Amino acid sequence: MTAPFESSGQEDAALLSGGTTVGRLWRWLGDFRITLASLGILLLLWCALTQSGLVNELFLPGPALLWDGVLDLIENGYRSRTIWEHAGLSLERVLAGFGTGALAGTLLGLAMGASRPIEAFFSPLVEFFRPLPQLAYLVLLVVWFGIEETAQIILLFLTALPVSAIAARDGVRSVSLQRLQVARSLGASQWQVFRYVVFPSALHEIFTGARLAIGVVYATLIAAEIIAGSTGLGWMILDAGRFLRSDYVFAGIIAIGLAGLLLDRLLLVIERRIVHWAGKD
Amino acid sequence: MPIEPSAGSGAAAEARQAGPRSARDEVGSWWRSGRWLGALAVALVWLGWYLVSAFALVPEMLLPGPGEVLAALVDIVRNGYRETTLWENGAATLWRCGAGFVLACITGVPLGLAMGYSAKVRAACNYIVQFMRPLPPLSYLILLILWLGTGDASKIALLYLTAFPIVASSAMAGVGATKLQRVQAARSLGAGEWQIFRHVVFPSALPLIFTGARIALAAAFSTVVAAELMAATDGLGWMVFSASRFLRNDVIIVGILVLGLLGMALGKLLLTIDRRIVHWRGVD
Repeated sequence: MTAPFESSGQEDAALLSGGTTVGRLWRWLGDFRITLASLGILLLLWCALTQSGLVNELFLPGPALLWDGVLDLIENGYRSRTIWEHAGLSLERVLAGFGTGALAGTLLGLAMGASRPIEAFFSPLVEFFRPLPQLAYLVLLVVWFGIEETAQIILLFLTALPVSAIAARDGVRSVSLQRLQVARSLGASQWQVFRYVVFPSALHEIFTGARLAIGVVYATLIAAEIIAGSTGLGWMILDAGRFLRSDYVFAGIIAIGLAGLLLDRLLLVIERRIVHWAGKD
Repeated sequence: MPIEPSAGSGAAAEARQAGPRSARDEVGSWWRSGRWLGALAVALVWLGWYLVSAFALVPEMLLPGPGEVLAALVDIVRNGYRETTLWENGAATLWRCGAGFVLACITGVPLGLAMGYSAKVRAACNYIVQFMRPLPPLSYLILLILWLGTGDASKIALLYLTAFPIVASSAMAGVGATKLQRVQAARSLGAGEWQIFRHVVFPSALPLIFTGARIALAAAFSTVVAAELMAATDGLGWMVFSASRFLRNDVIIVGILVLGLLGMALGKLLLTIDRRIVHWRGVD
């Protein structure tokens, strides 16, 4: 093992900050070369496995087949809808369920953080729902509301709510006592304390919770589309899997990964814009 | 229904520290702490449910009353559901979840530690871990089923792949959280590389490793149920899914309650182990 804490990690970035730009660039490239080499080995392995016929292309598409599949999906779509429509439907559901669930959860969490009785009242329900596998109640929602959008959006609402509520509650709890006391002693009213001290302090954790929630919501939606859906990215890969079109399955997984990344980045950008004071205590 | 999940944990700890207390004090502190409000909430939900079913506001087909659900629970415990008992289904779910999770910890923690330790290992592996982490697990379940069949192997592989990136990232972050001063202090006192790892870096990383393990177990538990809904012949997820096909909503609700309580119990179990082992958490 290389000597740690001397030639590795962010620590030495600080130690090296006095060095020349060229030296740092070289070091950075040095690590990046290993990444490229590892990526290259993976790609070679993939090519070797698929081209030599060791693995049937039905199970693992080769590079050429995958590329054709991706182009085909982009050009012709899947089952009378373009891939953009499938992705759009999935994102629409995520945003509808996440938006309502995170809003309700944050309001509930703020109230729970501010008031002990409210917290005591709601916490058993929140604590029960948080670790409950979401898909377990999807089945009940489908029986109640049918297989349409309603069941999926309610599912995502119920998924986002406890995650956001707990983050907002913890955010309110983490307000520094000093600031509260300063604001109070300067004569701030209850509402002013909440508006100008508690809420801004909690906002960072609220956003952290929101990013956590959107990740869980997205994973839940893909699962819900796979188990009970007729449109969307999740349904697309399930349907492609049934027909052993592993090129479409792979392309679908890549699309799902990219869309998830996009959602996370979106929230991160909004957070940086709004909570510009985070980490500057 | 959950009975006050947090009840007793805080108050009981206080009581233990303060020495023996009378039952009356316990009740008094329970009352003053307002925790009875939680019991009230659970009771209100129960009452609302009971009233809805008693006055038949909703067809019983859609929402069976508490009585029917209790009867279904007794029936499943005694006779089982479609020739599998509740214990067998619960054990199948826990076995898959546990096997995937333990395998992920055994391989993910050393890899994460190595990634935190060495920039070279990080460069070689981190992009794979960070690509896997946000990917919804169910999306690659279909591939795993194509490759490994519908048996336990594909599900355990799925849960392994769900938990692995979470555990590995948190172990890596844990090494990064080690204070440089402490490493330098140990080194200047003449500690060898192994000693520094064993006595400084590893203990510093352990709180984050445990946090990661808790998140990973929760994710694996959610995922195992989803996987059982899709392709399984036993397990609690299968039970719920099968019940939905026969419109046995009483069995579905039994399944949801059991899964919720099991999820809470798993979380509590890891939290207890965490408190026991990482007693230095937050003492800095």
